[in-house]
Amino acid sequence: MFAARDSGDHKGGKQITALAGLAIGAILVAFRALPVAAQAPRLVSLYATVERDGGLVRGLGPQNFHLYEDGDSRPFRLEQPETPMVIALLVEYSQRSYPYFNDIQTAVESFVKQAPEGNWYALATFSHNLEVQVDFTKQVMQLSNAFAQLGEPMWNEVDTYDAVYEMLDKMERLPGRRVLIVIASGLDSFSSHTLDDVQKKIDAVNVVIYGVGAGSMLRGLYEPYLGAMQEMSLLQAQTFLQMLADKSGGEAWFPKLEGAFPDVIKGIFQDLENQYRLVYESRAAADHKLHKIKLEAFQIVNDKRQNFKVRVREGWRF
Amino acid sequence: MKAAYLRVLLFAGAALAAGASGCAHKAPVEPPKPPLVPAVFQPLQEALQKSYLELFQLAPTLEFSNTQIQNMRNYLEQARKYCVGQYKKKSDQYSADLKRLEGNLKQVSATASDTQRHDLHCQIQNTRALQSQTEVLADHAIPVAYENKEAKLDLIQQWPGDLKQIKQQIADGSYLKRQWGDVKDIGFREIASGQKDDIKTGEDAIKQMKQAGLMPKELDNKAITDYVEGVAQKVAKHSDLQIPLHVTVLNSKEINAFALPGGFLFVERGLLDAADDESELAGVIGHEIGHVVARHGHKLMQKATIESVVFQAAQVAAVLLTGGAAGIGTYYALQYGFYGLGLALNLNLLGVSREYELQADQLGIQYAWNTGYDPSGFIRFFDKMATQEGYVNGASWFRDHPPFYQRMLDAEREIMFLPKKENLVVQSSAFEQMKKELKPVTAKAEAEEKGRPSLLAPEQGCPAPQKIEYKPGEPIETICSLPGTVVTTKVASR
Repeated sequence: MFAARDSGDHKGGKQITALAGLAIGAILVAFRALPVAAQAPRLVSLYATVERDGGLVRGLGPQNFHLYEDGDSRPFRLEQPETPMVIALLVEYSQRSYPYFNDIQTAVESFVKQAPEGNWYALATFSHNLEVQVDFTKQVMQLSNAFAQLGEPMWNEVDTYDAVYEMLDKMERLPGRRVLIVIASGLDSFSSHTLDDVQKKIDAVNVVIYGVGAGSMLRGLYEPYLGAMQEMSLLQAQTFLQMLADKSGGEAWFPKLEGAFPDVIKGIFQDLENQYRLVYESRAAADHKLHKIKLEAFQIVNDKRQNFKVRVREGWRF
Repeated sequence: MKAAYLRVLLFAGAALAAGASGCAHKAPVEPPKPPLVPAVFQPLQEALQKSYLELFQLAPTLEFSNTQIQNMRNYLEQARKYCVGQYKKKSDQYSADLKRLEGNLKQVSATASDTQRHDLHCQIQNTRALQSQTEVLADHAIPVAYENKEAKLDLIQQWPGDLKQIKQQIADGSYLKRQWGDVKDIGFREIASGQKDDIKTGEDAIKQMKQAGLMPKELDNKAITDYVEGVAQKVAKHSDLQIPLHVTVLNSKEINAFALPGGFLFVERGLLDAADDESELAGVIGHEIGHVVARHGHKLMQKATIESVVFQAAQVAAVLLTGGAAGIGTYYALQYGFYGLGLALNLNLLGVSREYELQADQLGIQYAWNTGYDPSGFIRFFDKMATQEGYVNGASWFRDHPPFYQRMLDAEREIMFLPKKENLVVQSSAFEQMKKELKPVTAKAEAEEKGRPSLLAPEQGCPAPQKIEYKPGEPIETICSLPGTVVTTKVASR
C-alpha cells in the first residue's frame, strides 16, 4: 500500500524517509500481533447442516449465520456446494461381522438403491486391511455388484481405526466435496492407530463422515447376557462412530431394526442435499493444534432471535 | 435357544479383541527349470513372428519335417513353462516384499514422521507396480504369446493340407454344399426364422442393462455416429437381416461391439480406435449382424433365464469397469449379446456359444464380401487383436473362444469359397475422416479419465514406478532370457 502511494508522489526526501519509517513501524506492529506460526490465510469450504425440531432448515442466507474461528468472527461467503460429490463407502467385512452381517448388507443395498446420479462413488472394505473394491465411478450399481461378489472374509480382525485413518489419508488428496460413509460396528481389534490419531486426522482433512452402526439390534437383544467388559467394548464402538460424525460435521445412526436402514440412508442423502457451504479464509495456524470453529444459525422473527441447531466440523488442525 | 446362545457368544466374541487370525501356508515351489537346448530352426522361429494372414500365404511354400515341428512344439511348451515360472517367482517375491512393507507401515504408521511415511508409501507403490506387472505377464501376456506361437505352428503344419482339400472342394463343386454356401441368395434365404420375435427381448435387455448400470454412455458426435450408422446399414442391407437395425455408438474405450436380439447393434469407441480401415470395421459389424440373423440370442436364452444372464453380466461388468484384472476378454464376451455373456461364463454351455461364434464369423465374412468389402479385413482385425490386444488389461482376448487357429482357418476357408470380386473396398476417405473426428473425442475421454477421482491415486513426489518393458507383439524372448542356442538351417522351398 505504501509503496503504491509513494510511486506517484515525488515530495521531499524527508517525507519519504518518514513514510518509510512509518511503514516499517506498521509492519513490525502487525508482525507482533500475529501468532508466531501464522501463515497466509487458506480458503476453506465449511459444510454445515441446520436443524430445527429434528427437521432440516433450508433457504437461509448469509445474514442467518455467524462464523467464529478460535473465538474470532470471520467473514464468509455462502456458496453452492461443489458438484459432483465424492462419496466413499467404508464397510466392515470380517469373519467377526457375521452376527450382524445382515445389517451391513441391507445398509449397502439401501445405499446403492438411493444414491443420486451424477456423484462419484467408491467402495472399500476392511477387516485386517483396507481393500478398495471399487474405485470412484458414476455407475453406483458397480458397488452393489462388487459387494455381491466378495468372497468369504479372510480375517477375523476389525481394524476400524486403521481403516478410517487410511481412508481419510486417501481422500485427503481428492478435490471437491468429500464424504465418507462408514458402515460398521465401530469395534476395533488390532489397529496400529490410536483413537487420538484418528481424531487428529479428522481435524486435518476436510471430509464429512457419516456413521451407520451395524449390530445395534443384536446388542439390544442380548445386552442382559453381556459382561461388563463386553458392554464397555460395545459402548466404545458406538462412541467411536458418533465421534467420527461429531468431529466432522456428519451424523451417526444406530438402527435397531433391519428395516430402518433404508431410512437412515435416505437421511444421509437428505442431509447432503441440504447442507450449506460457507467459504472463508481460515486464519488457523499450521501448528498441529485444533482451531475450533463455531457456527451460529438463526433467524429474526418479530425482533427476536431464534437459534437453530447446527452440525459442523469441530475445527481445523493444520 | 441354543442358536440364540451361539449368537450371543459370537457377538460377545466380536466385542472382545481376539487373537491373531491364521494365514494360508504355501508349500515351497521348486524353481522352474530352463528349457532344453532347442533343436529348432531359426527360420521356423522367424515364421512364428509373422502375421496369420502372411502365414496363410507363406505356409504352403515352407517345408519343415514333422520332427522339426515337434521339436519346436516341445521347445515352446518348455519355454512357456520356464518363462511363466520365472515371472511367477518374481511375482511371489514382490508379493512377499509388499507384505513386509505393508506390515512395516502398519507398525510405524502411528509414530512415523511425514518423511518416513512418504518413503514407505513410495516403496509400497513401486513394489505394487512391479508385482502387478509380473503377475500380468505370468498369467496373461506370456501364455497369450505362446498360444499364438502354437496356433501359428498348427497353421504351418496343417494349412498346406487344408489348402489342398479346399482346392479340391472348389474343383469338384462340393464347397457349394457347405452350410450357408448359397451366398448368391443372401437377402433371400432364411438363416433362422422369426427374427422379429426377438425385438421385444432386445428392448427388454437394453432396459435391464441400463437399469443395472451396465451400458456405457452414448458417443455424442454426429459425424462419427452417422458414419458408423452408414457402414452398418450398408452391411445390413447386404445381409440376411429381415428387421430394422438400430445402431448405437458407445463412448467406451473397450475394443468391442455387441448385438442384442432383435437387431440392436452397439459399437464401442475403442473398436473404432483400433480399426485401421473400413473393411476391418465392416467385418466386425458383419459378425454381429450374423448373431442377430442366426438368432443365437434366442437359442441361447432357451437355456438360460434372462435374470441369470443379467446377474452374470453384472458380475462381469463389475470386474471390467472397476479396472480389475479382466478387461477386453471379458467385455468382448458381450459380443455374444447380453444372454450370450452369461453363457460364455457357463462352461456347460460354452461349447454351444463357441459353435455360434464360428457361425457368426462365417456369416459376417459373407456379408462384408456381399457389401463389397475385402472380407480378409475381418482376419486382419482378429490378427491384430490376437497379437497386440491379447495383452490389453492383462486379459486374453479369446481364451474362452473357439481355438484361434480353428477360427482363422474357417475364416480363410470361407473367403476362398466366395466368388471372386473385383475392386473390393479396403479403405475409404469417409473412414479416414471418421478417424480424424475420433481423435479429439478419444483425447477428451482420456483426459476425463485422468481427472477421475481415485482412492488408488499414486503418492505424489515418488520416483516413477519401475516398468518391465514389453510391448505386445514383440518376441516374448525379449523378456525371458532363455538359455541355449538355436540351430540355424535354411528353409527349403517347395
